[in-house]
Amino acid sequence: MANVSFQNLKAQYGKNVIFDNFSLEVKSGEIMCLVGPSGCGKTTLVRSLLGLTKPETGRIAIGDKVLFDAEKRINVPVEKRNIGIVFQDYAVWPHMTVIENVSYPLKKRKVKKEEIQNRAMRALEQVRMTQYANHLPSQLSGGQQQRVAIARALVVGAEVVVMDEPITNLDAKLREEMLIEIRMIQKNLGATILYITHDQQSALELCDRMAVMESDGKLCQVGTDEEIITNPINRFTFEFIGNSNAIPLVVENGNTYLDLDEKIPYEDGKGKDLHNKELLVRLNDVVFDKNSKIIATVTSRIFLGSEYNYFLNLGGKEIRLQQSMLNAKNDGTVDVGEKVGISFINPHFYDKKIIKEAL
Amino acid sequence: MFSVNNNAMAAIDGKKRFSMDKLLTIVCFFMLFVVVIVPIFMIIFNAFFDKNGFSLNLITEQFADKKNLDAMFNTIKIAIFATIFGTIVGVFYAWLLGRSDIPAKGVMRALFNIPYMFPPFLGAMAWELLLNDRSGYLNRFFMDVLKLEKPPLNINSIWGIVFVEVSYYFPFVFMQVVSALERMDPTLEECARIAGAKQSTVIAKITLPLVKPAISAGALLILISSLAHFGVPSILGFRQEIYTLPTRIYAVIYNSGGSFEGIRQGAALSVMLVGVVAIALFIQNRILSAGNYDIIKGKSMRPTLIKLRAAKLPLLFLSIFTLFIIVIVPLGMIILISFVKAYGLPLVPENFSFINYQKVFANKGTIDSIRNSLILSVSAGIISMFLGTLVAYVVQKIKPKGSAVLEITSMLPYSIPGTVLSIGVILAWSGAIFGITLYNTLWIILVAYIARYLSFSMKTSSASLMQVSSSLEEASRACGASHSESLADITLPLIRPAMVSGFFLIFLPAMREVTTSILLYGPYTRTLGVHIYSLRDAGYIPQAAALAVVAIGLIMLLNVIVTQLTKDRKGV
Repeated sequence: MANVSFQNLKAQYGKNVIFDNFSLEVKSGEIMCLVGPSGCGKTTLVRSLLGLTKPETGRIAIGDKVLFDAEKRINVPVEKRNIGIVFQDYAVWPHMTVIENVSYPLKKRKVKKEEIQNRAMRALEQVRMTQYANHLPSQLSGGQQQRVAIARALVVGAEVVVMDEPITNLDAKLREEMLIEIRMIQKNLGATILYITHDQQSALELCDRMAVMESDGKLCQVGTDEEIITNPINRFTFEFIGNSNAIPLVVENGNTYLDLDEKIPYEDGKGKDLHNKELLVRLNDVVFDKNSKIIATVTSRIFLGSEYNYFLNLGGKEIRLQQSMLNAKNDGTVDVGEKVGISFINPHFYDKKIIKEAL
Repeated sequence: MFSVNNNAMAAIDGKKRFSMDKLLTIVCFFMLFVVVIVPIFMIIFNAFFDKNGFSLNLITEQFADKKNLDAMFNTIKIAIFATIFGTIVGVFYAWLLGRSDIPAKGVMRALFNIPYMFPPFLGAMAWELLLNDRSGYLNRFFMDVLKLEKPPLNINSIWGIVFVEVSYYFPFVFMQVVSALERMDPTLEECARIAGAKQSTVIAKITLPLVKPAISAGALLILISSLAHFGVPSILGFRQEIYTLPTRIYAVIYNSGGSFEGIRQGAALSVMLVGVVAIALFIQNRILSAGNYDIIKGKSMRPTLIKLRAAKLPLLFLSIFTLFIIVIVPLGMIILISFVKAYGLPLVPENFSFINYQKVFANKGTIDSIRNSLILSVSAGIISMFLGTLVAYVVQKIKPKGSAVLEITSMLPYSIPGTVLSIGVILAWSGAIFGITLYNTLWIILVAYIARYLSFSMKTSSASLMQVSSSLEEASRACGASHSESLADITLPLIRPAMVSGFFLIFLPAMREVTTSILLYGPYTRTLGVHIYSLRDAGYIPQAAALAVVAIGLIMLLNVIVTQLTKDRKGV
């Protein structure tokens, strides 16, 4: 079993606490994506798992094997932890050929020579790099170097592989390919993958489960991507995971209004306590609705290939709306300058953000 | 943030109390303490303390002596003028070769680098033969041809010293500025032209300000080198009793026959010299505080060349003339004199023979001095290479508490004149440390060389280590390598080219070193430089010239080998 468990971890640099009381379970054989804004402590967590940073308190274990336990004073050195790692900058050694890079972990584990060759080639096969075995990294493109890094992380058959933003430096098309490849490799090997990124889009494409971290290092939600999209636990998760519109609400005489330049009645709000709340809604959950009393003016329309992006003016506030090609075909598009009724499906209500006065 | 990571890494490394990082750090501190701190401390101690404790007597005595004050003013005067003229010449030719369409650039650039390899004191020797006020060949020629009463030029003067120093020091500025010009984004100049600026305005307002950091770095090098310089002023100045502080220190110790009192006096004068250097550095820093311009990029681009049109031929002629004066004339003179049967004979073919070469090589001292210099420069090169890399690694990657101290300590000898360093080394290794006496052995010269050249290798290794991302080492740790294994497998191979070039940066100047060794040599430990110097001093000028030709040939040969060796680096 290669489930990874972090229990009550605390890490700090000087007086700056990165995270405190952090606990997370990664199930054996799953791809867990850890997402969060830059600087939230994702990398520190990974470094703690690898043994490159020493947490203050807590416990880290893979299956039954304890890697770190502050109370029992256990701290397995980096090289004995047996975790595959793919760094953001690949960290492919520039003075070694591709095959030397991939063989290195085997050599350090004193594997027999003939076996090293076979296993290294097999690892290169998995990432489709066999024909480059004798190239130097400087002769490879970024994507190819990345594959070498992945092969090197996989070659010893580590049960746990950590990937720290492995595709951020690649172009869009290559990113897509690499995600599919990582997925396939994981299926073949059954390794547990902890995938770190600040890019929710690639996380959604790749993960079995997702863990969302807030900027202060708190873990705010863990769940499947579906759960997190459909049922975000708080405003941070909702906003982090995709684009949305936010409209302030106000309740007067028992009626709920959209609190804009003019107060527009919001009838769907009946029976809910929405005073001083905000309505948050995804771009594709804003729809044209001839029967709606909420009337907006189209200010611009952009064709994006698979959908239309509209910018609407609703009582002086800019609202964005996404119309899929299918809907555009069925209902027709709306032209710039037209006034049009809109309604919000699947809205979320959260407390208003408290905006601190700038000093 | 990284420093903390690495500290954590160090903490993780060992349950053992003594992790490898700690060991390296301690070794570093210890070595620098012994090699750098102790000699400096010994100078200060001896200058300010006598049997009765703290006293300023020795220092005030030195200031009271007019000869010392004259030496101080000469030092400053020579350094200022050498810096100003050297900078002007360096910038001018850097621009001409880097940015104009002057022909034969490749050849000229190679030739402009020769003064950098050529030991300045040999240049001074050559010029003295030519322009000595009574017996200089060129002076006599002018007097004969122009029917002059008095010799027209006198190289044995302050201006003579400035002239020779300029001709060997301007490459410092030249090389820095040429490389900055090459890395400069040409669109910056093009934009100014498009915006309506004239060519001359672009040079004054865009190009020069952009390369200002390079100019000021080069000027600083000239300034420090000139303040500390021994060879040229000693060869050209002694006869006319023109002293600079470094030559004055040498004279004081030499006249006292190497007695302790003489060395103490030298120590006090050293404090004076270091004070002058420190003030000069401070002022230079104020005037030319180097800005940081990111627009100068690492990769080289093809700059637009400026057409010289009608000025092309005159400028080409000027360049060739300059090269002729600073390279061909002194070199040719040394070679000619090395063949002449006796000093003073006219330079005509009947007076030429190989007798000087035979005499020089029949002298056992010659072979010894070449052997000594080879042993010293190879071992100083190797030891400083490893020690410098160690310091660079500790400062860059381990970052212990006090790493700034380490860095400054290792850079310190760089701005401390070689003469001063030698006195410190004499004071430290004449029994002061654990009663060890190295005086009159090769070891004492070796210790001085290591202290003097440590910063060279430390700088190159440091620059190279900065390029090695820490994730490379971390990746190998995660792959199962221990800390020392990842050092040996990953980091060291990656910085090997820098270490090799660090070695040669030390080896080449150490081969022709005079300043430090002249104060440290003993009867059996003459170096090549010292041997040439003393042959000349004893009046065997043609023999000195013959050995100089051998030395120059050796240095050039080694230089060619170095460039060939360092050419095929693996692309990192």
